[in-house]
Amino acid sequence: MGRKRRWILLGVVALGTWAGFGAYTQQQKPLDPFEEAMRQRQMYLETFGVLPGELFVEEGKELFFRKGPSGKTLEECDFGKGKGVLEGVYAILPKYFPDTKRVEDLETRVYTCMQTVQGFKPSEIKRDEVKAITTYIASFSSKARIQVVPKHPAELAMYNLGRELWYTRAGARDMSCAVCHDQYAGQRVRLSPVRSPKQGLGNEWPAYRFEEDKLYTMQDRIDFCYESIAIPKPEFYSEVHIALTVYMLAEATKAGRSFEELPFFTR
Amino acid sequence: MRRKAVLLGLLLGIGLSQMGPFRARFEAALHSGGHEFAQVMLAQDKGQALCSQYRDKLPPDLIPGFLAEQKALIKYPANGKLMGDWRNGEKVFTDPKRGNCYACHAGVPEEVAYGTMGPSLTAYGQRGTAEPVVRYTYEKIYNAWAFVPCSLMYRGGVHGLFTPEETADLVAFLLDPESPINRR
Ligand code: HEC
Ligand code: HEC
Repeated sequence: MGRKRRWILLGVVALGTWAGFGAYTQQQKPLDPFEEAMRQRQMYLETFGVLPGELFVEEGKELFFRKGPSGKTLEECDFGKGKGVLEGVYAILPKYFPDTKRVEDLETRVYTCMQTVQGFKPSEIKRDEVKAITTYIASFSSKARIQVVPKHPAELAMYNLGRELWYTRAGARDMSCAVCHDQYAGQRVRLSPVRSPKQGLGNEWPAYRFEEDKLYTMQDRIDFCYESIAIPKPEFYSEVHIALTVYMLAEATKAGRSFEELPFFTR
Repeated sequence: MRRKAVLLGLLLGIGLSQMGPFRARFEAALHSGGHEFAQVMLAQDKGQALCSQYRDKLPPDLIPGFLAEQKALIKYPANGKLMGDWRNGEKVFTDPKRGNCYACHAGVPEEVAYGTMGPSLTAYGQRGTAEPVVRYTYEKIYNAWAFVPCSLMYRGGVHGLFTPEETADLVAFLLDPESPINRR
C-alpha cells in the first residue's frame, strides 16, 4: 500500500513541479538553484505534508522487512556494523566485507545480501527496490559525519582506482571528473554550481530531484555525469561506481564533511 | 653507471612490452562497468592519455610536441572560408548535442542560463576580423588543445561534434558585427 500511495502522490506532485520548473528557467534573473530547491521543498511540505523522499524511505522499510525466498529479511545482513545495525552504516561505506572479499558501497551491499541472505536471483532484483532499500538505510545516517577512511588493502586499492578514474579524460567531450570538479569547482555549468570532493561533493545522495521527479542514489548521480559527458554509463554495482565513491567520500572525510539530511531534496 | 643504464633500459622495455599490474587492475575495473563503458574509456587518443597521466599538467618539455600534434588534427572548410554564417553558428553554439557552448560561456546578453567555467564571449567581436583573429578563433574552436594543452574546453571539431563548415559558422557568430553576441 505504501508504494501505491507513493505513485499517486508523486503523480500529483509532478504537476506542481513542472509549473515550478518553468518559473525556474524562464525568469529574467536566474534563481539561485539551492534557494529554489528549498522553496520547492517547502511547497511540498505545505501542500502534501510529506516529502517525496520520505515515501521512498517508507517503501524501503517495507522491503527491508520482506522475507526473501530463503525466508529471511534484510535484518540478517551485515551492512558494515554487524547484523541488524543500520545506525550510521551509510557514513562508513564503501568498505571491505570479509564474506564477499570485496569493497562494497551500500547499493551493492543491498544487491549482494538480497542474493546471499535472502536467496533472490539477480534477475528477480528490481533496481527500484534496491534504491528504496538504500534510501531507507541511508536515512539512518542523516547529517552524519562522513567517515570513509581506506585502511584494508582492498580499500586502498579501490581508492587508487577511484583516483585514476577521476582523472581519466575520455569520450567525445574530452572530459574527466577532475577537470570540472577540481579545477573549476565553485564555477557553474549553465546554472548548476559545481563542487569538489573537499567541499563535500556527493554528500546529498540518495536524494529526490524535483526537476526529474525521481530518486537518485550516488550511483545514479555518477551515471548522470558520465552520460552528460558522452561516456556510456557503467552498469550498476560496478567497481567503477564503488571506486569513485570511495575516492570522493574519502576526500570529503579528510575535509571533515558531513552528509545532508538524507534523503535530500534537490534540483 | 653502465649497469644503471642497462637496468633502466630493461625497465623501460618491460614497461613498453607489457602492462603494469596497476594498469591491468584498472582495465579490469573498467570492464566491470560493462562493454560499452569500457570501450569508450579504453579508446583514449594520445592527447587524452597524456592529460590523464599528467593530471592535466604536462611537463614543459612535452608541451611543444603536444601543441604541434593537436594543430595537425585541425581540418579546414573545402572553400577555405573560416568565417561563415552567424545565424547557423548560433544554432550550433546553442545545440546541446553540437556546440553546447553556453554550458561554459556567456554569449548573447539576453541568455541568462550560461556557465562560468570559460571566459565570457559576449562582445568577442571587439577584437575585429583581421585574418589572424579569424584563424585563431577557428582553430581554437576546432581544437582548443592546440593552444591550451588539456584545457577543460573539448576539441569539438576533432571529435566531429561539428563540421569544419559549422566551425566557420561558429566563428561568424563570435566575430560578425551583425551577430547578437556583438550587438549592444
Ligand atoms: C562538464 C563538467 C562535469 C564533469 C566532467 C563531471 N561533472 Fe559531476 N557535476 C557537474 C554538474 C554541473 C553537476 C550538478 C551540480 C548541481 O546541480 O548540484 C554535477 C554533479 C555531480 C554530483 C552530485 C552533486 C553533489 O554536489 O553531490 C556528483 C556526485 C558528481 N557530479 C560526480 C561526478 C563524477 C564522479 C564525474 C566523473 C565521472 C563527474 N561528476 C564529471 C559537472 C560535471
Ligand atoms: C566545458 C567547458 C567549455 C565549453 C563547453 C566550451 N568552452 Fe570555450 N573555453 C573554455 C575554457 C575553460 C576556456 C579558457 C581556456 C582555454 O583557452 O582553453 C575557453 C576558451 C574559449 C575561447 C578563447 C577565448 C579567448 O579569449 O581567447 C573561445 C573562442 C571559446 N572558448 C569558444 C567556445 C565555443 C565556440 C564553444 C562551443 C563550441 C566553447 N567554447 C565551448 C571552456 C569551454
